[in-house]
Amino acid sequence: MLHVKNLTASIGDAKILKGLDLEVGAGEVHAIMGPNGSGKSTFAHALAGREGYEIGGTVALDGADLLEMEPEDRAAAGLFMGFQYPVEIPGVNNMYFLRTALNSVRRARGDDEISARDFLTVANEAMELVEMKQGFLNRSVNAGFSGGEKKRNEILQMAVMQPRLAVLDETDSGLDIDALRVVANGVNSLRGPERSMIVITHYQRLLEYIKPDVVHVLVDGRIVESGDHTLALHLEDHGYAGFTNHDLDDALLSGAPT
Amino acid sequence: MSVDLLPTRTAALEQMQSLELPTKQDEAWRYAPHKPLGELAFGPTAALAALPSDVEDQIPDTPGPRVVIVNGVFDPTQSRLESLPDGLQVHSLADASDEAVADLLQRTYDAPEDGFSIINRAYGTGGALVLVEGQLDEAIHIVDVIVPERAQSASASRVLIEMAAASSATVIETRLGSRDLVGGCNVRTEISMAPDASLEHIVLQDLPSTQIHLGRVDVVQSAGSHFRARLFNLGADYGRVAYHVYLAGEGARADLSGLYFGFGQQTLDQQITVVHAAENCTSSQSYRGVLDDESTGVWNGGVDVRPGADGTDSVQSNDNLVLSRKAEVNTMPRLEILADEVSCQHGATVGELDEEALYYLRTRGVRQAEARQLLINGFADQVMDDLQDDVLRTWITERLGHDHA
Repeated sequence: MLHVKNLTASIGDAKILKGLDLEVGAGEVHAIMGPNGSGKSTFAHALAGREGYEIGGTVALDGADLLEMEPEDRAAAGLFMGFQYPVEIPGVNNMYFLRTALNSVRRARGDDEISARDFLTVANEAMELVEMKQGFLNRSVNAGFSGGEKKRNEILQMAVMQPRLAVLDETDSGLDIDALRVVANGVNSLRGPERSMIVITHYQRLLEYIKPDVVHVLVDGRIVESGDHTLALHLEDHGYAGFTNHDLDDALLSGAPT
Repeated sequence: MSVDLLPTRTAALEQMQSLELPTKQDEAWRYAPHKPLGELAFGPTAALAALPSDVEDQIPDTPGPRVVIVNGVFDPTQSRLESLPDGLQVHSLADASDEAVADLLQRTYDAPEDGFSIINRAYGTGGALVLVEGQLDEAIHIVDVIVPERAQSASASRVLIEMAAASSATVIETRLGSRDLVGGCNVRTEISMAPDASLEHIVLQDLPSTQIHLGRVDVVQSAGSHFRARLFNLGADYGRVAYHVYLAGEGARADLSGLYFGFGQQTLDQQITVVHAAENCTSSQSYRGVLDDESTGVWNGGVDVRPGADGTDSVQSNDNLVLSRKAEVNTMPRLEILADEVSCQHGATVGELDEEALYYLRTRGVRQAEARQLLINGFADQVMDDLQDDVLRTWITERLGHDHA
């Protein structure tokens, strides 16, 4: 599904990703955890195609070279990124935006545009999923939304777009416990054998709701450790301190619950 | 034939002898193209047998009463004035012969006359007189068309709107033109509002890019009246609209808003002054500009609070989106306060397209060109937020969409 090999990203002289390797199989959920400044968000934006980075290495999604594509083509190839800070777009209606997005991707794939009636069905199902009221779609995209509403809107978009790979960048940040539950429920119900997810988070809390198949620790631009969900629990107890030097040994993990 | 026009015209024609056109030194005319303005030839014009089809197709198809003025002359064949509702009278200015009309035509204003408003009084013998006494549902549409007979031909016309006490109406003034000839129009609108009258006044300026539009709107408001102005300044090589709103009666309210959207080498110029001359009046100015290519936007918005106008509440905002390095915007909020207990806020912004928003849209699969358009329309459409008239809304949306197609 997704193969990331020796991915590097830098801005000017600052090297942020220093050779990141990652394999995500179909239907798998991977969590990427790491301290502030380790490159978590840069990794997400490198996948999504933000301008301004110098990028090296390879990223293949279903065999297609993502790094060669514009952001909109990556979306058409099946990538969806949930933003840590969803952008407010005053004056652009949320419903219109969703429909434009969905139809853009459908056109790029050579499919017909969705009819107004079918779209309404899709949108209503997605709204139910994130427990949003009808008026939500008539507002401007994210404009004046609370932190929780913005994150729910991201999951709503994901539900409408039905991506092959979802990268969720700190989707839990700024959420109270109720919003976290709603967002996690939304994510869990979108799990499926044909859809993979990368959940980027600073805290273990989200992973109590979204059980990952694999947990990776990202430190200083590299993945320094991978394991099952118990790795997250270890981080919860011990923090990232033990990972900040790269020569990690097994003794360090001896305290991790199994 | 009306004799009543003569005194005004005579006075104006006398002034024409020593007429001085505005220069770059006049702040309100600083960005005007003075050479082509000086070359405009105003004068009587012949009526056209029929409207050019390109103009006909452009006119927003509103259902209600319609006045068509072509090259400064009222055109009864294009106008639609049969079966007007109760409480509404519409006359061709040239045919209006009431004593009262003579007074209206000679009304003087707090705002000074300038070279082009004097030209308007001298040559603007045609136009429309709208008398509103009732509460009208359907918008009254006044279409002013310029079809230059030769290069530099320019027309002058006048629109007078008299709102009786507690009356209410919507008036749309559409300004259009035809032909790739240099030319222009000089349209003066004079609005008088009796106590508690309410008027929504929309100006839709979309002349061809070879032409010049000089618009001036003078408004005098009595106590408790409510004036809503909405400007869509889209066309012309130089598209100018000046508002002078005089709040004369206690508790009067004026809300002015507008959108200017420039392409090519257009200059779109809005000159606004609201005078608070009575207690407890409220005014707002809210304008948005989008400037592409090598276009120039000018927003000069003033609030003048006169002595004794205590309890004044005014807000001004001007937000601009600049889409090209060669486009420019000049925004000048002005405040002069000579009263007490006054609240006056103003703010102006000039920005580029939000790169982060563009990226966000693109990650959702929206192609770059479409994402740009979505953001531009999102910015511009906010001027239409509470626009009730669906015909106009559709017209403007399509007009703005077409240019980017």
